[in-house]
Amino acid sequence: MKAPLFVPGSVALSCAFALMLPGGTAAVVDDQQFNELKELVTKLSQKVEKQDQRIEQLEKTHAQDQKTILDLGRKLGENSLGAPDAQERAALSGTVEPMPRMPLDEATVNHNFSILGDAEFQYVKTSGDHGSFLFADFAPIFLYRGGDKVLFEAGFDFALQNNAPGNPGATTTIDLSFAQLDYVVNDYLTVAVGDLLLPLGTYSLRTAGWLNKVPSDPLARDLLPGAGVGAMLQGAVPLGQGGLLLNYSLWGINGPGSADSSGTAAALDLGGNVGLRSDNEVANLHGKPSGGARVGTFIPFKPHYDLEIGVSGQSGQWDDAGLHLWSAGVVDASLHLGSSIEVKGEFIESAYGSGDFGQVRAQGWWTQAGYKLAGLNLDWPVINNLELVDRYDSIHDGLGTRTRGDTVGFIYYLSNTLLFEGDYGFRHSTDPTQKDQLMLQVSYGF
Amino acid sequence: MKQVAPFGSHWSKPRTLMAVSAAVLSLALFAAAEGKQEKQPATAQPAAQMGGTNSSKTITKVQPKRLSGAELYSMHCNRCHPERYPTERTAAQWRTILLHMRVRANLPGEQARTILKYLQDNSGR
Repeated sequence: MKAPLFVPGSVALSCAFALMLPGGTAAVVDDQQFNELKELVTKLSQKVEKQDQRIEQLEKTHAQDQKTILDLGRKLGENSLGAPDAQERAALSGTVEPMPRMPLDEATVNHNFSILGDAEFQYVKTSGDHGSFLFADFAPIFLYRGGDKVLFEAGFDFALQNNAPGNPGATTTIDLSFAQLDYVVNDYLTVAVGDLLLPLGTYSLRTAGWLNKVPSDPLARDLLPGAGVGAMLQGAVPLGQGGLLLNYSLWGINGPGSADSSGTAAALDLGGNVGLRSDNEVANLHGKPSGGARVGTFIPFKPHYDLEIGVSGQSGQWDDAGLHLWSAGVVDASLHLGSSIEVKGEFIESAYGSGDFGQVRAQGWWTQAGYKLAGLNLDWPVINNLELVDRYDSIHDGLGTRTRGDTVGFIYYLSNTLLFEGDYGFRHSTDPTQKDQLMLQVSYGF
Repeated sequence: MKQVAPFGSHWSKPRTLMAVSAAVLSLALFAAAEGKQEKQPATAQPAAQMGGTNSSKTITKVQPKRLSGAELYSMHCNRCHPERYPTERTAAQWRTILLHMRVRANLPGEQARTILKYLQDNSGR
């Protein structure tokens, strides 16, 4: 029979075929490989365990942070009067972003017109007279800018004056201190026309009440006009990058005139010749205008340490007949040593011909020093706002009157522009009307 | 009537003037010297860093630093008045005021523009 022999034969053949198969198909791992794998698995297990611990720690920290944020948000909500509901509290408890700075649209904002100036309120007690409260001065300066090259500026002085004796009440006086149109030609040249503040020295450019460290003007400034009607070229040239400047001014104005057309010395009117006569005729009071110039240099050593020196002068006819000249020369200097020390002064000499005294030579000078006690670096609040001032001045009018004065005082800075000042001026003079004077002043610059 | 000398024999005008002038000059020299002393470390530093024998060859001339708007502002404003805070005015207001101050303080154009930029950058709205 063939069938029974087929089964054992197939088995035998399968066994033989199985024995012929290659041994590599089975997973054979030796001890070394096993140990390496075991070590690797162990390390990975440890690593996973550490990661789990770290995640757990981070979750705890996160939960604490959330709790802290919620607490802070709650406190913020409680402190906020305008956040009644939870939504607003949530908004407030979020990060507050600063408001973005919006650029100004010059087309929609008109700040071409501005007002600056100062105001003073005084109490004055002159030796031998009654003391008096005095609203001495309200001095606004109106500015109008036309583009970057044109500026119109005008300064006024408003003051009150008793009409008594003789009349009741008081009179308000309004003086035009200056009114000029400035045109900037280039970086080094500006043309100004109008009623100009004259740079004969620097004082007339810095007379505002909150700029002066002493409320009264120096005696010697009586020898000079503060302003004049005409035209001026001015500018400054920088010398290097350190801030050193050479500046100049050159002007032509109507110049001083004769108050009563007499040409006598007493009729000398330094600032009155404005081109419009009392009979409404437009004409100069004399034949020729006056010319003047100033050359100065500003030498900075570092911020708040600087020296400014200038030489200026003016000359021209002053009497109606055109027979006499009026001339003046000024040397000015100003020194800053830090933000606490300022020393400045002017030396003034003038000469003019007259119909009664011939050639008159007048002379004067003043020097002033101020020291801010903040420079002592004392941690005392009152002391740090205090500045002590002393001014020594002298004038000889060329007509026999000599006066010298010493003014001691203080400034208390209520702010950088609100000042309380007190001064006592000692006068020594051949003129009996010159007397010692106490002056208290509150001044404000705006 | 005999004219009385108003200031007595102690009043010597030329002598007083000379004394005042000397005092101002001394203060100016003091300030100049102090300014130079403060600048000295900046020029000496490169040589000190070299520390070698030929250090003098490595010293280069230090150009004066271009003054910043803040420095120019404090320098020029302080000539006449206490400094105003830039935040007291808007950028547009400073533009008008700076033109006024440029004329009043007789500033050159470039310095005025540098100061204006500083004030506008730090101005109130």
